[in-house]
Amino acid sequence: MINRKALGYITANYTCRTRTKLLDERPFAALPIFGRYRLVDFPLSNMANAGIKTVGIVMPGNYRALIDHLSSGRDWMLDRKKGGLFMLPGNAFGSSKEGMCFLLRDIISNKMLFQRSDKPYVVMMGCNIIYNLDLAEIIEAHERSGAHATMVYTKAERAHDEDVTSLEIGEAGRVKALHPGCCYGDNKFLDCAIINREVLLQIIDRCGAMDYLDLFHALEPEFGRIDVCSYEFKGLSLGIFDEESYFQRSMDLLNPALNDKLFCPDRPILTKAHDAPPAKYTNGSVVCNSLISAGCAIKGTVRNSILSRGVVVEHGASVTNSIVMQGVVIKSGARVENAIIDKNNVVPASTELRGTPDATLVVAKAPVIAKKTVIID
Amino acid sequence: MSKKECIAMLLAGGQGSRLGALTSKIAKPAVSFGGKFRIIDFSLSNCSNSGIDTVGVLTQYRPYLLNNYVGSGEAWDLDERGAGVSILPPYATQEGGSWYAGTADAVTQNIGYIREHDPAYVLILSGDHLYRMDYRKMLKSHIEHGADLTVSVMPVPWEEASRFGIITKDDDDRIVKFTEKPEKPDSNLASMGIYIFSTDVLLNALEEDALDARSSHDFGKDIIPKLLENDGRLYCYEFHGFWKDVGTISSFHETSMDLLGENPEFDLYDKSFPIMSNITTRPPHYIGPEARVDDCLISNGCKVFGTVRHSILSTDAVVDERAVVEDSVLLPGARVKAGAHVVRAILGENSVVEEGVKLGSVDATKDTAVVGNDVVIGKGE
Repeated sequence: MINRKALGYITANYTCRTRTKLLDERPFAALPIFGRYRLVDFPLSNMANAGIKTVGIVMPGNYRALIDHLSSGRDWMLDRKKGGLFMLPGNAFGSSKEGMCFLLRDIISNKMLFQRSDKPYVVMMGCNIIYNLDLAEIIEAHERSGAHATMVYTKAERAHDEDVTSLEIGEAGRVKALHPGCCYGDNKFLDCAIINREVLLQIIDRCGAMDYLDLFHALEPEFGRIDVCSYEFKGLSLGIFDEESYFQRSMDLLNPALNDKLFCPDRPILTKAHDAPPAKYTNGSVVCNSLISAGCAIKGTVRNSILSRGVVVEHGASVTNSIVMQGVVIKSGARVENAIIDKNNVVPASTELRGTPDATLVVAKAPVIAKKTVIID
Repeated sequence: MSKKECIAMLLAGGQGSRLGALTSKIAKPAVSFGGKFRIIDFSLSNCSNSGIDTVGVLTQYRPYLLNNYVGSGEAWDLDERGAGVSILPPYATQEGGSWYAGTADAVTQNIGYIREHDPAYVLILSGDHLYRMDYRKMLKSHIEHGADLTVSVMPVPWEEASRFGIITKDDDDRIVKFTEKPEKPDSNLASMGIYIFSTDVLLNALEEDALDARSSHDFGKDIIPKLLENDGRLYCYEFHGFWKDVGTISSFHETSMDLLGENPEFDLYDKSFPIMSNITTRPPHYIGPEARVDDCLISNGCKVFGTVRHSILSTDAVVDERAVVEDSVLLPGARVKAGAHVVRAILGENSVVEEGVKLGSVDATKDTAVVGNDVVIGKGE
């Protein structure tokens, strides 16, 4: 169903607090994950599955990979005459991800998106926390509550998490305060909120002086007056904030039960379509506990790993506890272990690339050269 | 091009009755093949890769899923302005209407479509053949010969020649004889059911055929023999490569198995001439800790916990713990439950083989086991 109640606003301009080679040539929102997706697919799919037809995406400075991926937005059914996908300029160039990611300055400078809309609500999402939720139901719940805004949270399951914000929730689910960081059992904010468009426009007009703050931080002193409600999401959420959490949360998905939660067929995660044929396993291949994407050719051994589209594992080569991105070729006899191998690399025959369980080896994206004859030194 | 050089008419209305349970609910061109494709992908991709941007798809038998799948043609980059894919079902006019009585009749009823695009040449295709072909080369040959009609042919083994429409040609590739399923073939060049007509020749032939009460309105049986009889300039274009009509259960199974192995004759991975498809986005497939996968094609969304050997798993197929699948094709969403054993079988879309069931036989002289779409096979069935 086409959603007549909400428009979407996605911030794709936040980066990582610690430098990683994975983000040398792409914004965080375009980081490939789970074999065939990119982080931005999750907020976009959540919105698409709720029937949202107008989505503004705040662009990072190094937007090439993101624009390439989004194109006209047709993979999320956003190539519309009414509404559609709007690429918005961002101010938070290079802002690192800590706490929430709705910088007021970005909202203010893209005021027109909200002014032009006739929808009563704005759904806001970041790109760093991955989940698959029924946004249409949350919009309904927000409407029923009569609140000015609803912040979506989940009960934190990890002992300590400093990259997120926790919500202090009082009577009737009202948000009383925000706290940086999150401990086990806290109400972890999912960078997902619904706010009445009129309220947002008032804030835009009123809060210009505080534009260096996040939206909800700017509102926090007014929580007594502005009714900010909360909604608990009970499904799976995976926060990706740096190299380590990227690796760990990716590996979490090797658990089929978690995988089913994220990729439930009722609400498909949509991504840029490619025409890769099925993966091919030839005689003698050994594969266990792995996610393998279309177009891979596997003759060697793959264990506890995630392979993106078109990866080749030659005879006698082995990949263990690793993430291997699109188009990588692992030549015969080579061994890859505890590593993230970014796109288009060729691992030469009989070489070893090993990290340790505590220190994942990261090999940067190889430049695209004719015939992909790129050698890792 | 001010005027369109060539458009394609893709015959996709046949029932495909020899595919039995596989086509009980959907038209043959919409049957899944090769893990993530449907049979019509091959013809549509050929058109797209050959630069033909106008394709009329003639549908009749159970058209909903097929029409839905083809859609606007955007999956094959065929959603072009003033061109693109048009679904052409039988229709009614003020004079009444009728079903398509034969391949030629289907095109006759859509002469208006051809006239509207006004091409110099018309390519007639079947929507149920598997091959990769650059039609531009065939068109070039047609133009060079100044032909009325060019028929694409390929050499087949002599012992099989009597199963095909056989073309006899002279030294200049001009067709001198066309015999449908000859008992004693004098040539081993089989017609592939791919024709390029010069448009005026086609329209004249169709109009004449429509008036002939004795005609069965079929290209192979009526139109081509008549043109030959009238001394038309009929030439053949010899094709070398993989071409299969997966018309029967055994050829469907055999052709699927041909995709396996180290260097299959038909290369699904050739990026210079990609086979495109209109598929829903599914996550990468998962191979479980105890799974064994050997010599297989496995598609997105699959889950394998048991053993799969020399088989094709289409999108979202599932093989549970301790289940064994060998020499089989699982169509999209098919599931083999724990401990079941499936050999030499084709499992239809969303079909289920229940726990512990044994299905199929290794004995190659026995028929391939087929389970229809949505069918559940329990013990004792």
